[in-house]
This record gives sequence, structure tokens and C-alpha cells, in this order.
Amino acid sequence: MKVKTIIVGIIIAGFIIFGAYSFLQSNVEYTNFQQAKATGKKVQVAGAWIQDRGSYFDPRTNQFVFYMHDDQNNIAKVMLDGAKPNNFEIATSIVVKGRYRDGVFHASEVLTKCPSKYEGKGSEVQKTM
Amino acid sequence: MIGTWLVRLAFASALFSSVAFYLTLRIKKGRWAKLARLSFRTSALFVIAAAALLLYLILTHQFQYTYVWSYSSTDLSLPLLVSTFYAGQEGSFLLWALYTAVIGVVLMNYARKRGYELQVMSIFALIESALLLMIVVKNPFEFVWRSFPGQVSEGFIPANGRGLNPLLQNFWMVIHPPVLFTGFAAMSVPFAFAIAGLWKRDYQTWIRTAAPWTLFAALALGTGIMLGGYWAYETLGWGGYWGWDPVENSSFIPWLFAVAAVHVMLVQRRTGSYVRSTFLISIIGFLLVLYSTFLTRSGVLGETSVHSFAEPGMGIYIMLAGTIAFFSALGIGWFLLRMKEMPKVPLHRSYLSREFALYLGAMVLIALAIYVLVGTSSPLITGLVQSKPSAVDISYYAKGSRLLGIFLALLIGIGQLIWWQRSDPAVLLRSIAYPAVGALIGTIGLIPFGLRDAGIALIVFAAFFALFANLVVGFRIFRGNPRLAGGSIAHIGIALMLLGFIGSSYYDTNQTISLPQGEPVKALGYELTYIGYRETEHEKYAFDIKVQKDGSDFTLSPVMYYSEYNQGLMRNPDIAIRPTHDLYIEPQSLEQPHGVNPGSDVTLKKGESTNLGEYRVTFVDFDVDRSAMMAGGMPSVAARLSVSHGEKEEIVKPALRISQSGMERIPARCSDGSAEFQIVTMHPDENDPANSTVTLNVKIGDEATVSQPTKDVLIIEASIKPFVGFVWLGTLVVLGGLILSIARRSREARGQ
Repeated sequence: MKVKTIIVGIIIAGFIIFGAYSFLQSNVEYTNFQQAKATGKKVQVAGAWIQDRGSYFDPRTNQFVFYMHDDQNNIAKVMLDGAKPNNFEIATSIVVKGRYRDGVFHASEVLTKCPSKYEGKGSEVQKTM
Repeated sequence: MIGTWLVRLAFASALFSSVAFYLTLRIKKGRWAKLARLSFRTSALFVIAAAALLLYLILTHQFQYTYVWSYSSTDLSLPLLVSTFYAGQEGSFLLWALYTAVIGVVLMNYARKRGYELQVMSIFALIESALLLMIVVKNPFEFVWRSFPGQVSEGFIPANGRGLNPLLQNFWMVIHPPVLFTGFAAMSVPFAFAIAGLWKRDYQTWIRTAAPWTLFAALALGTGIMLGGYWAYETLGWGGYWGWDPVENSSFIPWLFAVAAVHVMLVQRRTGSYVRSTFLISIIGFLLVLYSTFLTRSGVLGETSVHSFAEPGMGIYIMLAGTIAFFSALGIGWFLLRMKEMPKVPLHRSYLSREFALYLGAMVLIALAIYVLVGTSSPLITGLVQSKPSAVDISYYAKGSRLLGIFLALLIGIGQLIWWQRSDPAVLLRSIAYPAVGALIGTIGLIPFGLRDAGIALIVFAAFFALFANLVVGFRIFRGNPRLAGGSIAHIGIALMLLGFIGSSYYDTNQTISLPQGEPVKALGYELTYIGYRETEHEKYAFDIKVQKDGSDFTLSPVMYYSEYNQGLMRNPDIAIRPTHDLYIEPQSLEQPHGVNPGSDVTLKKGESTNLGEYRVTFVDFDVDRSAMMAGGMPSVAARLSVSHGEKEEIVKPALRISQSGMERIPARCSDGSAEFQIVTMHPDENDPANSTVTLNVKIGDEATVSQPTKDVLIIEASIKPFVGFVWLGTLVVLGGLILSIARRSREARGQ
């Protein structure tokens, strides 16, 4: 085998290893609160906000606090670094990204999934009078 | 009705045109060629007519058409009204088809003069047919009663439409999508040329004809992408211009392929080698455009992307997947068929040659594209492999792009300094020396300003190196013949952008700040005072913040408003642009009393204790208030809690009372009011009292006394973005360079 081919092979292999490592490292797994509590790793949990438990922005710590349940109805208190996310109230479901620590889920990010706002519904047609 | 038929006829004539071009090659009768040309032009006319019709319907507010109703309304300004054309799926496909048709008409003449017409147009018309087929299926000319059967009576004409999403109601909506779609449409051209080359068994000369078009695709797509970035930065207010979101990535990846294609084309033209690479890159680049369309429109990434588009349904999913499969089979299949015949021309160049540097550069671009592609497709991949889809964290992209960015920048620098064919190592070292030293000085010079990270320093060094190398060489070329300086200028722009990227993202300092009205707050080197808010237009509110620094002061007024359409709070930032940085302020919320603090929940068994902060809480027992019951009142049950705080210990009894209106929760506090307890639920176990539990909600310390601010407090997120201006400046420079290059390569193609 030519030297050139070997070198190219090494470079490509190196890149693939780097890529695979980054990929696996940054894969933030979707899970539920039970698992999140158990592992303490950075995870994503999909679920919905529990409206009647209230929500609160604490200006001293600059954190937004609320309760949510995941797809298996585990409930967790969530503290997000930052203010209430866009479309929080209307979100049909939310995804929180962070880790479970000291009985609270510390979220670095909250993604809000909104109802299909790009297509209208039949009932809305009537309303536009 | 007319619209639907225009689209169908456009589709039919485009398809016919493709077949006719093919037949001309088979049957070799000039008549078929004439028919083919005529039908392509006819198809283009039909598309233009359909587009004009849709525009007319929009401008005349004909809301009985579902598409017009869904995206426009009577209160939009003219430019925005026009932009609703491409606000939805059907319209944006129509726009894409329109651009493809227009490009096709020009391409037809261009290719004919160079003997490529039949093959190029057969493929190109096929692409146009595929696009039109989407529109036939997802028809923008459908009536409301057809779209919502049973809910809307036939012939009903709504008085107004839903309107355009407020997020889209600004200047950028008018230009970003059209430019972007021009780029998508343009990417079909190199693909068509590549297939034509394979078809004709012409493995070398097709490049000269295709080069200016490939550059044009890079120009249009790149501009479209940066317009999107600037839009996000200036209007959308999440503090950045690039989020590595699937929608963004999926236009970035084909762009990388287009640029890589340009570079390998240059090498192949000079040396005749890398035949296969050039074909593959041109073909796959277009396939990636289709793949990107699939990712963003099929709903497949729905959960994991912030850009959550509506579910378009199985129809579009299958059509898009089918289109990708078809053109992949066509492109890759044909390539494999011809692969054995292709000339294998060895490079015959030293590794120290510009040809090799160009090739390396193209490979790094491809590597970056693949890296981003894998990350973007992560939900698909993980969904298949481990049945639970997950997205990659944004750090994945940062890692890869920084690493590859170093190599890219170094190659951009070296590529300009190295000679064609072969460089004398000593001479090369000497020419590298000056820019390298300059880069070193520049990098070191930034250390006092906060440059600490070794990896970042490498990127900065590489970017400076690329900048200085291209400045030196570019200046020389410009003095000789300005027309040839396109490449250098474009690379200068890239280097500037790289520096801007590092400055504004890595060194972005960002803080959430509470500004009580009228009180100056020091942050990020500025003094900020929230003055008050005022209504600007249509229930939008501007929040004035006085900003002071070193004697100068100005006002920034970010905006917040409630959108009925989105049923949520919308935020627009305000930005103070300075040469060395931007001060970026995004409003978060206006806190007027009050919010409900949820406290903490805890469940205790009888006799169990828990620690909450400095408090130790023990659930002792239930207390049933029999006296109230016996007096004919409502029964209530209390939870007797033993609460110890420091030295004190006391009994606290929150209760639940059943009243006529349901269950009432009666909270109880510590004697000093520093903690509040409330019963959430209780589960008394009659069989085994020891198993009875109560779930309490506890608010401790300040949480118990909801502090009522006497003033309004504006919560903002403020950040300093160093050298973000370089990103925009760099973009403009790249555009200039690309335009020059297109002009140069067009001239070369003509002189062929």
C-alpha cells in the first residue's frame, strides 16, 4: 500500500473518530423524570406545563420556576436560567433540557412546541368576519 | 379553477419537454428539439401565469382561496402582502418552480450555444416537472370549502384572512425567502450539467460551462443564508444569527458543496484530474438541496427543531422522499455507470502546489458538510438505531466547525501563496512568513483583551493568516488585472467572517438583568435605566432604556407585544451598533406584581422527617377536627407538622376543609411567618396507619412572603457581542468577490 493511501486513511479515520466522539458526547437523550433523577446526566424531557401549580420568575436569581409532568406523568419542579420562554402559556408541549439535581430539574433550555400556527382550522374561517 | 389548470398544464408541458429533449437525442430529428424548446417555454409561461394569478388573488384579497386566507389579511402593507406569496408550503414551491423556470429559459439558450442543450435541458425540465408535481398535489388554488369540507359552505367568502404571522411581518420577509429560493433553484444547474457530462461522455469540458452557474448558486444561496442570519439577529431576538437549527443547516450544507464544487472544478480544469470528485460533488450538492427540503417540510424533525412547521401530511412526505430517491438513482446511478470509463488522470503535481491545496480545501469543506449533515440528521439516525430520537447539543457543531475552521483558514491562506504546479519550499516559506508573523502579532495582540483559550487562539491565528495572505496577494492581483481578484476578495471576506464569528459567539457576554423603573443599574460596562414603556403601533410596546457610558448616552427601545396569531408574547430586540461590538438588548418581561411562587413539594409518611433548607419538617399525624363536625360545620382535617428551625421547634397545622364549593386548602405558617405550609393531598391508610402519607407544599424564607415590588421591573437579557460587525462586513466582501468571479468565469466560458 502506498504511503499516501495510508496517510489519507489515517486522516479520514481520525476525523471519523472525532466526529463519532462529538456526536455521542453531545447526544442529549430524551428520557423521563424518573431516569433523569436516577442518572443525573444532562437530558431532555418532553412533557407539559402544569398550569395550576403556578409559575414564577424570581428576579433575584433570574430564574423562571414552574412544574411540569412528563409523558409518564412524573412531576418535577423545573428551574430555568432565564425568563419565561416565548409562547410558554400556549405551548401544547414543552421540552426541557438540563439535569436533575437536589430534587429540582435545572433546565438550561426550554423548547416550546406550539400548536400548528402555520395552517388554519375550519372553525377559524367562520370567525374572520 | 384557472390556477389549478395552469399548474397542471405547466407540469405536463415541463414533463413533455424533458421527454422531447430526450427523444431528440434518440431519434435525432430536429423537429423534436423544436417541440421540446417550445414546450419548455410554454411551461415557463404557464408557471409565470400561475404565479401572477396567485399574486393577483392575494393583492385583491380573495379570501375564498385557502392559501390567501391562511396567510394574508387586509391590514398588511403592500410589500408584506406580496411576501405572503411564499409564506406557506404551496406558495414557496411555486416560487421555487418560478425561479427554476426562468433560470431554465436562460439556461436553454446558454447551453444550446455550447452544445449541451439537449442533455442539460432534459434533466433540468425533469427537475422542474418534479417541483410542479408537488404543486399539483399541494395546490395553492384550493377553495376554503374544499380544504375544510363540512365546516365551510360552498361559495362562502371570508371577509378577512388569518393574516401573516407577526414574526414574519418585517422587511426581511420580503427578501430572504426569494433570494434563498433563487439559490435552491440555481443548484439544479450544476447537477444538470454534471448529468449532461456523464450522458455525453464528456468528462472534462462540461466544467467550463458549468463554473459560472455554480458560482452563481453559491452566491445566491450564501446571500440567502446570511439574510436569514441577519433577520434572526435583528428581529427575532434570541440573541444570535445562527442556531445550527436543522432549517439553517440544511441550506448551509448544499452551499458548502457548491463552494467545494467550484474549487475542484478549478483543479480539474487545469490538470484534468479529480474527474470523479467533481461529478460527485456537483450531483450530491443538488441531492442535498432535496434532502434539506425533505427534512424541513416533511415534519420528520418536528419534535427536535425550534422551527416546528405544521404536519404537511403523508402526501408530501412520500412525494419528497420519492423525488430524492428518483434523482439520487438518476445521478448516482449514471455516475456509477460511467465510472469505469472516466479518465483516471493522476495529479502530476507536487503536494506543494496550489492544485493540491485547492483539492484539500474542497475536501475540508465536504468534511464540514458531512459533519453538519450527521448532526442535523441525528433525530433520524438515533430514531432508527435506538428507537428514541434525540438531537445533538449545539456544542457538537461548535466543536467540529472550530476544528475544521482552522484547517480551512490555513488552506485559504496557503492556497493563495503557493504556486501552481510546484512551489519551491524555501520560496514558499518566505512568502508564508510575512502573513504568518502578522497573524502571530494579531493573535498575541488580542491576549490582553481576553484571548485565553488555546483552541480559539489557533482559529484566530489561522483567520488572521488567511486575511493577511489574501490581502497581500489580492492587492498584487488587483493592481495587475482587477477582474482576476474575485477569489482573493471572497477569501478576505471569509477571514473577516471567521473573526467575527469567534468574537461575537465565543466572547459574547450575556446577562439577565432586572431593571426597576427609574433606577440605574450597572452592567456590562454600561449604566442602564429603565424609563418606561409606550405604545408604538397596533398594541406594540416599546420599552425605553437609557444607556450611559463614558459621558455619552442614548436610548435603546426593545419591543414586546402580545400576538393573537401566535397566542404568546413576542419580543424584538434593540441593538446599539458600534465599531468594535454591538450592545444587544432583548426584553424578557415586565414584572408587575405578582407571580405565584410554587414552593417545593414533599411527601412524608407518618413519623417521617425531611430537611428543607434550614428547616426540619416532621409529619406527626392527622388531626381531624371533630368539634367542628359535631357542631354541624364542615369537616376539616389538618396535618400536624413538627417544624424545627435553628433552636425553635413548633407545631404547624395546615388543613384541608371540605366545603360546599369543594376542597379548600388552608395554609399555615411558622410563628415568625418565615415558612408557609400547605397540604396538596393526603392519603390516610386505614389498614396500616403507618403508611399514611401527606404531600405538602412548602414555601420557605422570602418565598413565603411574596415580595410585591412597588415599581415595575423590566427584565432584559443584555449582551455584548464583540466584532459582530465583521460578520456582516465579511459577507458583503464575499459577495463582491463572488460577483467578480462569476464575471470572470462567464467570460472564460464564452471564449471557449
